[in-house]
Amino acid sequence: MVSRASDSSSKSRQSNDGLGNLTYKLNQLKKQVQAERVVSVKDKIEKNRKKIENDISQLLSTTSRKSVIFAMDNGFGNMPLCKYSGFPQGLGDRDYVNSHEVVLSTSSKLSHVQKIPPYTTWIFLDKNQRMAEDQSVVGRRRIYYDQHGSEALVCSDSEEDIIEPEEEKHEFSDGEDRILWTVFEEHGLGEEVINAVSQFIGIATSEVQDRYSTLKEKYDGKNLKEFEDAGHERGIALEKSLSAALDSFDNLFCRRCLLFDCRLHGCSQTLINPSEKQPYWSEYEDDRKPCSNHCYLQAFSLSLSLSAIITNTEGTLLHCNAEVPGAHSDIMAGERCNSKRVLPVTSEAVDSSEVAIGNENTDTSMQSLGKRKALELNDSVKVFDEIEESLNKKQKKLLPLDVLTASSDGIPRPDTKSGHHVGAINDNELQMTSKNTIKKSVSAKVVSHNNIEHNIMDGAKDVNKEPEMKQSFSKGELPEGVLCSSEWKPIEKELYLKGVEIFGRNSCLIARNLLSGLKTCMEVSTYMRDSSSSMPHKSVAPSSFLEETVKVDTDYAEQEMPARPRLLRRRGRARKLKYSWKSAGHPSIWKRIADGKNQSCKQYTPCGCQSMCGKQCPCLHNGTCCEKYCGCSKSCKNRFRGCHCAKSQCRSRQCPCFAAGRECDPDVCRNCWVSCGDGSLGEPPKRGDGQCGNMRLLLRQQQRILLAKSDVAGWGAFLKNSVSKNDYLGEYTGELISHREADKRGKIYDRANSSFLFDLNDQYVLDAYRKGDKLKFANHSSNPNCFAKVMLVAGDHRVGIFAKEHIEASEELFYDYRYGPDQAPAWARKPEGSKREDSSVSQGRAKKHQSH
Amino acid sequence: MARTAIGCEPLVGSLTPSKKREYRVTNKLQEGKRPLYAVVFNFIDSRYFNVFATVGGNRVTVYQCLEGGVIAALQSYVDEDKEESFYTVSWACNVDGIPFLVAGGINGIIRVIDVSNEKLHKSFVGHGDSINEIRTQPLKPSLVVSASKDESVRLWNVQTGICILIFAGAGGHRNEVLSVDFHPSDIYRIASCGMDNTVKIWSMKEFWTYVEKSFTWTDLPSKFPTKYVQFPVFIASVHSNYVDCNRWLGDFILSKSVDNEIVLWEPKMKEQSPGEGTADILQKYPVPECDIWFIKFSCDFHYNAAAIGNREGKIFVWELQSSPPVLIARLICFSLHVKYNPQSVY
Repeated sequence: MVSRASDSSSKSRQSNDGLGNLTYKLNQLKKQVQAERVVSVKDKIEKNRKKIENDISQLLSTTSRKSVIFAMDNGFGNMPLCKYSGFPQGLGDRDYVNSHEVVLSTSSKLSHVQKIPPYTTWIFLDKNQRMAEDQSVVGRRRIYYDQHGSEALVCSDSEEDIIEPEEEKHEFSDGEDRILWTVFEEHGLGEEVINAVSQFIGIATSEVQDRYSTLKEKYDGKNLKEFEDAGHERGIALEKSLSAALDSFDNLFCRRCLLFDCRLHGCSQTLINPSEKQPYWSEYEDDRKPCSNHCYLQAFSLSLSLSAIITNTEGTLLHCNAEVPGAHSDIMAGERCNSKRVLPVTSEAVDSSEVAIGNENTDTSMQSLGKRKALELNDSVKVFDEIEESLNKKQKKLLPLDVLTASSDGIPRPDTKSGHHVGAINDNELQMTSKNTIKKSVSAKVVSHNNIEHNIMDGAKDVNKEPEMKQSFSKGELPEGVLCSSEWKPIEKELYLKGVEIFGRNSCLIARNLLSGLKTCMEVSTYMRDSSSSMPHKSVAPSSFLEETVKVDTDYAEQEMPARPRLLRRRGRARKLKYSWKSAGHPSIWKRIADGKNQSCKQYTPCGCQSMCGKQCPCLHNGTCCEKYCGCSKSCKNRFRGCHCAKSQCRSRQCPCFAAGRECDPDVCRNCWVSCGDGSLGEPPKRGDGQCGNMRLLLRQQQRILLAKSDVAGWGAFLKNSVSKNDYLGEYTGELISHREADKRGKIYDRANSSFLFDLNDQYVLDAYRKGDKLKFANHSSNPNCFAKVMLVAGDHRVGIFAKEHIEASEELFYDYRYGPDQAPAWARKPEGSKREDSSVSQGRAKKHQSH
Repeated sequence: MARTAIGCEPLVGSLTPSKKREYRVTNKLQEGKRPLYAVVFNFIDSRYFNVFATVGGNRVTVYQCLEGGVIAALQSYVDEDKEESFYTVSWACNVDGIPFLVAGGINGIIRVIDVSNEKLHKSFVGHGDSINEIRTQPLKPSLVVSASKDESVRLWNVQTGICILIFAGAGGHRNEVLSVDFHPSDIYRIASCGMDNTVKIWSMKEFWTYVEKSFTWTDLPSKFPTKYVQFPVFIASVHSNYVDCNRWLGDFILSKSVDNEIVLWEPKMKEQSPGEGTADILQKYPVPECDIWFIKFSCDFHYNAAAIGNREGKIFVWELQSSPPVLIARLICFSLHVKYNPQSVY
């Protein structure tokens, strides 16, 4: 106790002494830092001076070189107009200066040039953009220069508007860092020391402490940092989880516009995962062509070749279809034929179906893909009987040939190798067209079948043998593949699961598209088998088996996949709106409104509901429909279901889309489609009959708009070609800003008497002041030839300008800005009742007022 | 105003004149009653270093300084539009070295005058509002930039009459641009400032092919593919009010607002993130009674001195490159509107 007390007292004494010392020390340090600053500034200025000297000599040479060349030619050859005598040095009185009035007898005229109407430089936008945060005028002092009063006025915000500047973090200068560091190193981190330092620098103690710890890290941890850097440079971090690796993708990719860094919907959108998975590409699943040397199909080449032969022989022998699939240049097409044709054959050959059934029932451990193959295999066996007979003769003839090739392989396992061989022939054969060659190869294969036949038959009869064979293949040929399976990194596993989601259990496609360079098809296939054998089995009919396993797989995937870490999602620039809609008070800002709308539309934000939307669904809550971008299922009751209109009926209110102020959506509506071809491939033609007339904003089917001096005021928008009533002319694009922002900007715009604000929906106002298109220059008229309409296009509100009547080519375009009656500036007010009758078109078209 | 951190203090010049140099009024001219908004010596052609031009109202006048303080009026041009009020003028020339005068003002039309032939060479229509300043690229004197009330800065080729680049858009000025200047040696670089209280540094390096193309363009100037430069390489918030004049001093920038001083600062750009960076204020040159805007300063050819007037008609001449700054002279001038430039002193 005693020692401790004395300890503390001595400490306090020390610190008291230290405090006086400390202030002195601090001042000393400050002086030192400031002196060094003076020196450094002088150094900089001096360095800069030398640079300027250099620049000047360069400039001098450029200016003087010219004079050497042209001194004689050009210049002011004429006599001066007049001369004004000056005051020779020393004679003139400093205070009194005699002034000459310049009187010029002659002066050249600068001929008149037509002025253009004033405008602010603007950037063309072909689609709306959300305002970037640094463009906000809210909370910023704006000084407005009054043209007439020649006075600078501060556009002061009312008190509630002035946002308290956020407590900004103090930026520590190097000098301050030095003071901090030196003092703390010498005097320790005592409370008095911290207080003294924070007072001295003039910031909060907590900040001083924080800074000290960062400095400590910086100085102490230099080695550590280098180590970390080295770690970072290791390229793709395979150790990361898939969601971490996809973080930047999720943050930057807009799933609505399908592009990166979308300016309309912004970064860091909430991820919506649809509750319904897309069906995978099942048709590609029995791709016969091995994807690589490491393809699992190499192991199945026996079965493959068989089925291929059937396709071919079938054509020639059974004459099911006149065209022989030997003409396949397209392998996929051939395959489809294959599966189609095999099926009828199966039903015909009833006798062999027993074998097939036996196979189905018992072979559960076999993976589904292999199963299909096995099925085909069985089929092929059936047909094989028929083929055998008919081709007996040819077979015998060609037998030696095949034996030759088989023996050339010279490998002790004739069955597998010939299988390979046939696979190769098969591939080549697919591209051949001549009937002869087909026959030959077919027979050749038939021969090889004889070799394998036993195996196949065995496989069909004895169910266990088939998987065994497969296993022995994979093990025998690619032992390293099996070993690798134990080294699957987390990201690879996750990629694999994604692959199963996308492609089904097709190891070729998964390996090629998702694990390229990481895992071979064989490895994927092995992994697939391992992971599926570890899962609970369900004995089901083969047709549904595939689906089932995938479902189990996805379930499994969902369980396995960790919930997306929140922190990750936060990264990147969050551009979320902080402003909530205020129903009251947008006093007197001129905002254009669309026709036929007394109530503003509601901004749509996709909901992330799973399956059905309940009461908690944000869409339901906001009063918007669920759209295709929502997470909920297609059968959600809140979904907008699109229209079922027959040909070109979407132009009137009878179309539910049209009536709801929406454009039709080819993804949703039944008969509204988009086509890009000319119809030569059997798809619907691009334009003309049957084309939905309510997708014009989506398809940008707009008119050419010209910009020219208005007949009324300022600039005007003109039409290049004539249009008929209700034709779509173009979109009014601009920056999407909040109502609050619009109120602030509006104040400034109203002063300048030129506003390009357009009320879009409950959340956004379009501002075309600095970004927009030519239609922003269309003038107001109370008797217009166009109208503006807000349409919901693929979940976004957009403003379309439409013809109200037939408009001739090169006519100027007008529409009613529909400013509120009490808000409208004088030029946009409706004419008085008495005047209304005699107001002709030209009179009715009120002037767009310009301030200049 | 934010406090200056320790170790970042600027060096402030003393207002006591050093009397290093004597300035005397050698002559005095008056052009009618209209204010003269600009006077500029020819810095781009050594034959005409003694020639200067003034603009005021709808008139552009060319003078020459002769021996013994004699000034000769050489040429005079009058815009047919009486409403025109020229705000700014700059010397330029074509590739053959024929001197041009480039003037602009309230009408927003840039007039290019061929002074060797005493006739209008071209008129550039395009700016959406009045033109506040025009400057010439000293290394390529066929290029001029103009700063306008329409919130843009535009680069023109005076010879071919082409608008090559427009510096405006997403990262551009948010109010009138009041001043613009070419970097003395980095041909790609310009600095602009204006009523949005910022100074922006722009680079046209990526667009230089268009500059070159403008010299060989034979089609109509209106068909030239004018490009928008939307993002500056640096934005500085050195001032808290209108910035009405900026000039390069080597790699540093001199700028002024309505705070009774000219500020010299160093733009410290971050290599990785364009547009960001900090401004290190190095020196301050106080100018009393200079709290109204649209008072510009100008430097001599060698960037040794800068002169600025104030509200009371006094002229302050600062030695720019001494540290701390030295006031060379304080001159009293009784005529408020005539702005004397000490550029004649070299």
